[in-house]
Amino acid sequence: MTNHWVDVKNADVILVMGANPAENHPISMKWIMRAREKGAKLIVVDPRFTRTATRADIYAPLRSGTDIAFLGGMIKYILDNNLYFKEYVAHYTNASFLVNPDFKGPGELNGLFSGYDEKTRKYDKKTWSIQMDEKGLPKKDPALKDPNCVFQLLKKHYSRYTLDKVSSITGTPKEKLVEVYKTYASTGKPNRVGTELYAMGWTQHTVGTQNIRTMAIIQLLLGNIGMAGGGVNAMRGESNVQGSTDYGLLFHILPGYLPVPSASVADLKTYIEKFTPKTKDPKSVNWWGNRGKYITSYLKAIYGNHATKENGFAYEYLPKLDEGMNASWLSLFDQMYKGKFEGFFAWGQNPACSGSNAGKVRKAMANVKWMVNVNLFDNETASFWKGPGINPKEIQTEVFMLPCASSVEKEGSISNSSRLAQWRYKAIGPVGQSKTDSDIMNELYFRVKKLYQKQGGKFPEPILKLTWNYGDKDASGKVKEVDTHKVAKEINGYYLEELVDKKATPPKVLGKKGGLCTNFVTLQADGTTSCGNWLYSGSYTMKDDKVVNMMARRGKKDIGGLGMYPEWAWCWPLNRRIIYNRASVDLDGKPWDPKRAVIKWNPNKLDPKTKKTAPGWDGDVPDGPAPPYSNEKAGKYPFIMRADGMGALFGPGLADGPFPEHYEALECPLQANLLSKQRINPAIKLFFDQKGGLKEDVFLSCDMRFPYVATTYRVSEHWQTGVLTRHLPWQAELQPQQFVEMSEELAKEKAIRNGDKVTVKSARGEVWAIAMVTNRFKPFKIANSTVHQVGLPYHFGWQFPEDGSGGDSANLLTPTIGDANTMIPETKAFMVNVEKA
Amino acid sequence: MANMIRKANAFEIFNHWVLAISCFILALTGYAFLFHLEQMNAIFGSFAQMKVVHNYAGIAFAGSLAITIFFYLPESLHITGDDFKWLAMAGGYLSKHPHTPPMGKLNTGQKLFYILLLIFGIAISVSGFVIWLMPGVKKYILLSHLAHNIAFDFIVIAVPAHMYLATLANPGTLRIMLSGTVPVEWARKRHEKWVREMGY
Amino acid sequence: MARKALLISPELCIGCRGCQTACKGWNQLPAEKTKNTGSSENPPDLTPIVYNKIRYVEVPSEKDPVRWLFVSQRCMHCDDAGCMKICPAPGALYKTKEGAVAYNKEKCIGCKLCVAGCPFNVPRYDAKDKISKCNLCEDRITAGLEPACAKTCPTGAIKYGERDSLLGGAKKAGFAKVYGDTDLGGLGSIYAFKDSPKLYGMEEKPQIPESIVFWHKVLKPLAYWGVGGAVAASLIHYVVIGPHKDDEEVKKDG
Repeated sequence: MTNHWVDVKNADVILVMGANPAENHPISMKWIMRAREKGAKLIVVDPRFTRTATRADIYAPLRSGTDIAFLGGMIKYILDNNLYFKEYVAHYTNASFLVNPDFKGPGELNGLFSGYDEKTRKYDKKTWSIQMDEKGLPKKDPALKDPNCVFQLLKKHYSRYTLDKVSSITGTPKEKLVEVYKTYASTGKPNRVGTELYAMGWTQHTVGTQNIRTMAIIQLLLGNIGMAGGGVNAMRGESNVQGSTDYGLLFHILPGYLPVPSASVADLKTYIEKFTPKTKDPKSVNWWGNRGKYITSYLKAIYGNHATKENGFAYEYLPKLDEGMNASWLSLFDQMYKGKFEGFFAWGQNPACSGSNAGKVRKAMANVKWMVNVNLFDNETASFWKGPGINPKEIQTEVFMLPCASSVEKEGSISNSSRLAQWRYKAIGPVGQSKTDSDIMNELYFRVKKLYQKQGGKFPEPILKLTWNYGDKDASGKVKEVDTHKVAKEINGYYLEELVDKKATPPKVLGKKGGLCTNFVTLQADGTTSCGNWLYSGSYTMKDDKVVNMMARRGKKDIGGLGMYPEWAWCWPLNRRIIYNRASVDLDGKPWDPKRAVIKWNPNKLDPKTKKTAPGWDGDVPDGPAPPYSNEKAGKYPFIMRADGMGALFGPGLADGPFPEHYEALECPLQANLLSKQRINPAIKLFFDQKGGLKEDVFLSCDMRFPYVATTYRVSEHWQTGVLTRHLPWQAELQPQQFVEMSEELAKEKAIRNGDKVTVKSARGEVWAIAMVTNRFKPFKIANSTVHQVGLPYHFGWQFPEDGSGGDSANLLTPTIGDANTMIPETKAFMVNVEKA
Repeated sequence: MANMIRKANAFEIFNHWVLAISCFILALTGYAFLFHLEQMNAIFGSFAQMKVVHNYAGIAFAGSLAITIFFYLPESLHITGDDFKWLAMAGGYLSKHPHTPPMGKLNTGQKLFYILLLIFGIAISVSGFVIWLMPGVKKYILLSHLAHNIAFDFIVIAVPAHMYLATLANPGTLRIMLSGTVPVEWARKRHEKWVREMGY
Repeated sequence: MARKALLISPELCIGCRGCQTACKGWNQLPAEKTKNTGSSENPPDLTPIVYNKIRYVEVPSEKDPVRWLFVSQRCMHCDDAGCMKICPAPGALYKTKEGAVAYNKEKCIGCKLCVAGCPFNVPRYDAKDKISKCNLCEDRITAGLEPACAKTCPTGAIKYGERDSLLGGAKKAGFAKVYGDTDLGGLGSIYAFKDSPKLYGMEEKPQIPESIVFWHKVLKPLAYWGVGGAVAASLIHYVVIGPHKDDEEVKKDG
């Protein structure tokens, strides 16, 4: 989230699209309802009339996978009707930047951007560049009139998204489109703010990243980024997904969003050179310019004294990706299926049910020699070898089950969608022989280390030289039990030498040797600081010479009634509750909306220590202490994480285009994309193409055998694949069985009655489900024909309840295809058939 | 020794006392339920146990009621002109020296009592069993609860009257339910027609 | 103590059923084995181990494909409670000082008359034939806490507080019908409805069955005065008119 949960209450308009908070994030509804009490409008856009929709002022249906068309139409509406926030757009976004004149868009190139290579399915982004002047600064047209300026290109790009076109793609009635557009665009005024809440309904598409990009463009046009009650807000699917992402859960990032190097990035110098963006604009903060400090401090944290200036801070120990290698979920299981793995740790997950195209995933697991399942319960993954259609005699995989502690059986921090790291305490000890994840990891580490010590191995140093000082050690040097506080301190970072501000007169000691870092601002690139994750530096720190766990704070003081509660726990970065908050003020540092002042420049601010006037910011922790934009000498641009300091309407960083373009899902009910000749996202990696592929990866689009659009989702009563909730009788009582929701019209066509057992089939698999015939789904009018959509949750699995009454995972139906940028599987739009069982 | 005539046989007497005792228990527990008389816990231990007593006393009551009806119903339903005369003078109970019309084995008042017992006894028994055996069936329970209580009210009014009339008001009557015999002359005054029928 | 109540606002409810689970959790109620019968609503009805459930009601809508209402079904904690009125066992059902209709299973005699007495079809009986229903988390409220359902509700669709202020708030908020304001002496579970109660599946005018009212007003006093009257009349008769003298006459004659 750019903002935070409580902040939703400050919005005037709340757009819920790609999410269903009432069912999947029920607590967020508290803040949505608070906003509504004050007169805010709630808009819900969803293929299905969800429990969230019941509370909406406006509900608009759309066919799964057409969000960009829907939002593209909104961009056009905003631009056509001059509803954008002019000052904001002109000064805080790259609207005025001039783009390479050779850049061409899908309107000119039949659905493609310039630079596409059909063979590699990749873009050469050479033409997606900004023109630079002789000083190395972007060329601009402040009047936004130049045909090559971002603003005009944006206008041109979305001019194709007419109401008729959008309606015939999405199936949303035109008057609903206008109602939504009008209501949401009303927040383009300084005193009106709109927020967007999304979740997996946006990310799990082949155009997932671009779905979010489209909204980011809208929020920038309307001046809603950085504002209280604004932002683009990802509601995370699990309580600590934010935390695990921050800490490098994904294959391509190290903790703190530092890129994982590929083999060609040979040394630290090259790494820093390659991954540190540069700017010549003195007004741009370009925070990622600090990359070198963060990667060096990270290496110092994990390799300690083994990381020296001489050995490039042990950079060579870092694992590297092969050039062009993608180690995301779909690729991993594809490789596993092809027998490329020896073993597999399923740690706190249940891929046999959660993985898209779960049938393939289940088969893949038969191709590893061993599997370790770390979980609270046995599940479909650990027991895959005795699953439906599998002959245990043919399975060679040896499965180990390591029971782990639940979240209430251990101490530590959890980071929620608000980027808020909150300390939690242990309520009871782990049950039976189960251990906390960190203790299991600890046992594993010391055993692996011992093996390396005994047997050598190809490259033992990264393991042997790892710093692992997380608790008291026994005679053999093994940590007996992991002390979470020690981990948290390592993450925060230490001053390895005394840190002195030499510019100050007299020189001022900023940090004592061995002390905890104040925050990431003081991290160094010379190896004198360590920090496990720069974003979290400041979370476990020193205050007045005392060690303070900031995450354990429970202060309830608020600022301006905005619900920021700066003394409650701690959020990254630097306890900033709303990021990009410098965009919430005008060029002089005055809040666009004084009633919702996130920060405010105070020229008469008193330093509480010296009692002297020291101009500064009031309110939230600002995006840097620099004076406002208009300050000629020291003023800074608001978007500090971007090299040019500007919000990106034109975003050349993504794989599939600088402007989001509507493409159909891999499987869709249409022969062709109504907007261009390019049916699917041209930059996605296809696992099955004209040349063929694994039969498990087959997909069938616009095929009579699979005529209905399908989507998967969750319900409030269950959690992910249900491993935690299916075993909980209270939850199983509420939602006992796999179901499929469908319209009354479709049910009539198929002679299905409410409560009937039906079979849902895709090109890849089938599941049985109980038919829920309801008006919550309505047929869509798409390109003058009727398109039906069905939906089913993916919480169920064959293994529990033991009598099989729950059904099996809906992911047996979903395809092997991912987003062009993130490779998140497209489980929210695919094609199925439904028949009475 | 006066000539004695048998007005009730041993079984009738036994049955009467079963009915009387069960009725007493039912009424007592009934009042306890009705007015939450927690003092009854001293006798029954708890209301739950009292409910058991009430239910099983109900079986005894219903059984002996059926027998009672079998014994007296034909006679009770045998109404003659004398009965109306008897009624017209309220059985002579309002006068110190009444001259009532000649009566059969049962006088009109007794007939009335038996008819009352027939109606409300059956009502209270049947409704009692419904409440006991069909709990939770709202429609039946509401009807039965009403019937049970209406019948209860009549019975708790009629029974004391019966007791008074059979004891203090008519000295010598009680022996019918003790020994079963009464002096012929005593009977002649009250049940002239019957005595004649019996050949005295 | 001012009477406490729950204010249930279906217009704020998101049907998440956190309250259903919280109720089970706090009251340590086991689960039912259920089936999906074509609705997310489950279990299908209140049971001895389901004190509170959300009913999912789908009604036509002009603006949307459907109007989907979520209504909490549970004990209404009537001021004039039919169950208490009809209950023959003292102390089995009682009012807490907060106004909750609570119960003591030890004292329940399992007669199930309360089932007939309740206008809302709430009381259920457990395997031991003891009453089982929402008691407004008596153990929590008497300790100054709010009931588990209200505590867990994320949107304030179930609020616990002083009845008068909840009522005032609901009226001020302009709800078309504040259900339970005066019905049955005022309910302890009041509902803020936007439309007629019928739409939400509620009785328009809930009442204690007339037969029970009649019994309470007429038959019950009659049982008291009737037996007294019969005894008194007998005594008066004995004194004023006296017994038949026949017996002595017969003796004399004999």
